[in-house]
Amino acid sequence: MPDFSSLMSHGVFHLLAGLITLVSVLVVVSKHPVKSAVFLVVDLFLLAAVYASLESHFVAAIQVLVYAGAVVVLFLFVIMLLNLQPDQLRGMRFNPVEAVTLIVSVIGMLIMLGVSMSGKPTGLGDGSMDVNAIEAAGGNTYMIAMKLLTDYIWPFELASILILLAIVAAVVIAKKDKKPVVS
Amino acid sequence: MGLTADEFTIQFISTVVKFSILAVMLLQVPPVMLLVERRIPAFMQRRKGPNRVGLFKFRLYGVMQALADTIKLIFKEEVVPEGAQKVFYHLAPVFSVFPAFLIAMAIPYGPDIQVLGQTIPLSVVRLDVGFLFIFAISSLAVYGVTIAGWASNNKYALLGSLRASAQMISYEIPLGMSLIPIVLIYGSLDLNKIVEAQTTFLKWGIFLSPISFLLFLIAMFAETNRTPFDLSEAEGELVAGFHTEYNSTKFAAFFLGEYVSMFVLSCLASTVFFGGWQVPFFDVRALDQLVGLPGVGALVGFGSLLMKAAFFMWLYVWVRWTIPRFRYDQLMNLGWKYMIPLGLINVVATALVLAAVWFK
Repeated sequence: MPDFSSLMSHGVFHLLAGLITLVSVLVVVSKHPVKSAVFLVVDLFLLAAVYASLESHFVAAIQVLVYAGAVVVLFLFVIMLLNLQPDQLRGMRFNPVEAVTLIVSVIGMLIMLGVSMSGKPTGLGDGSMDVNAIEAAGGNTYMIAMKLLTDYIWPFELASILILLAIVAAVVIAKKDKKPVVS
Repeated sequence: MGLTADEFTIQFISTVVKFSILAVMLLQVPPVMLLVERRIPAFMQRRKGPNRVGLFKFRLYGVMQALADTIKLIFKEEVVPEGAQKVFYHLAPVFSVFPAFLIAMAIPYGPDIQVLGQTIPLSVVRLDVGFLFIFAISSLAVYGVTIAGWASNNKYALLGSLRASAQMISYEIPLGMSLIPIVLIYGSLDLNKIVEAQTTFLKWGIFLSPISFLLFLIAMFAETNRTPFDLSEAEGELVAGFHTEYNSTKFAAFFLGEYVSMFVLSCLASTVFFGGWQVPFFDVRALDQLVGLPGVGALVGFGSLLMKAAFFMWLYVWVRWTIPRFRYDQLMNLGWKYMIPLGLINVVATALVLAAVWFK
């Protein structure tokens, strides 16, 4: 008997990968900023679908919750309130920042391509972290919780302090104007 | 995970069947609520309400009113406002319906059943992160409202959508935070495991964590933009809020999205705090052997969940006709200054109590 579900998941992966590439291109080439933001939401959602197809439901859910559900909503808010029209953005094309971004992303892509073509194992290649081993150890969510709260507790806590500092800083910047606010 | 072709076929077909039944069931929610939303206030205010519409002599307390309203909604002329962002204007209702249906797939509607020697869970998808899935997808519901208001090219619509999205983002936090103690107590993110743990009254979520239930109930009303938190469509201030410029089928789609998400949150509240498909003092899974018919237990469990959810739907209508609308600053103060700190205290207190029990 062939392993039917693994055959299916290969098909699903290639379908999702194609869609993600297409949508990512659309994010960049869309003339209207709101369209770009909406495509970005679809992109992040599809990426979560890839995580889900890799049996990593926790990461998939967090991906949608944090990026698609919260971060891009704020992007969309700003874009809508600025109400930028496509013709107003034309003057902003081809600036040095974009050129640097382009060069860096091309170099990054080449490095990734080189690593994946070289045939060396990427990531955790020793087999202790494959799908079946994780399933046997108590499930993906359990394993992530165990790793995060034992081996990686200090990075985890430091990251949360960093985020807290960022929040405090944002509040301080927003409160610079000390005029009484009429509520 | 390896499934053979036969097993895969059974699982695939059962998923398709479950999804079809669920979709048809969810589509019945708005027509029923159309009538309920009129008959209950009529009952509360001691008047008759719609009871005239019927076929020939069969009036049945105005049941046909729902059909009449639906037909009216569908056959109305579609008017697209001038200067609207066409693509987004048409896309927004889809964005508002899609998450509501997606969340409904993760709710366990009954105990597992056996079909051809295979265990079929009675939720469309069985996820070990059911909780997170629900919050992740429900956070996408903001887009429907935001895009609708912006694409309509109408000041009132934009103001309504800004209010609604700020409100939904704010109240997502207490909604999620209210359920963390439940996850801590039952030790799982899997909704079905949480239901299976609530065997008797005293193990129901509402008795183990009453503050969570209070927070969840308030956040539930705010998350669906219902009174007393319906500031997104405050008709005295904003005409009709984000859907001012919508009519006909697209308005019906918003209507559908709102009622389906109300229903799903009602199901979630019953699942987490009121034992889901469990019946108190009685194991529904033992019914199959008692009656001698497979599937009876699942049906009874499903009925039990539906009754609990129906109570919450009724509560939505009850509150709507009892409590006046909040002011916007009151809404934000309640969310950020009272509910979130209370939720945090609740999480820490629950964790401390659980730790004390473990290390005793």
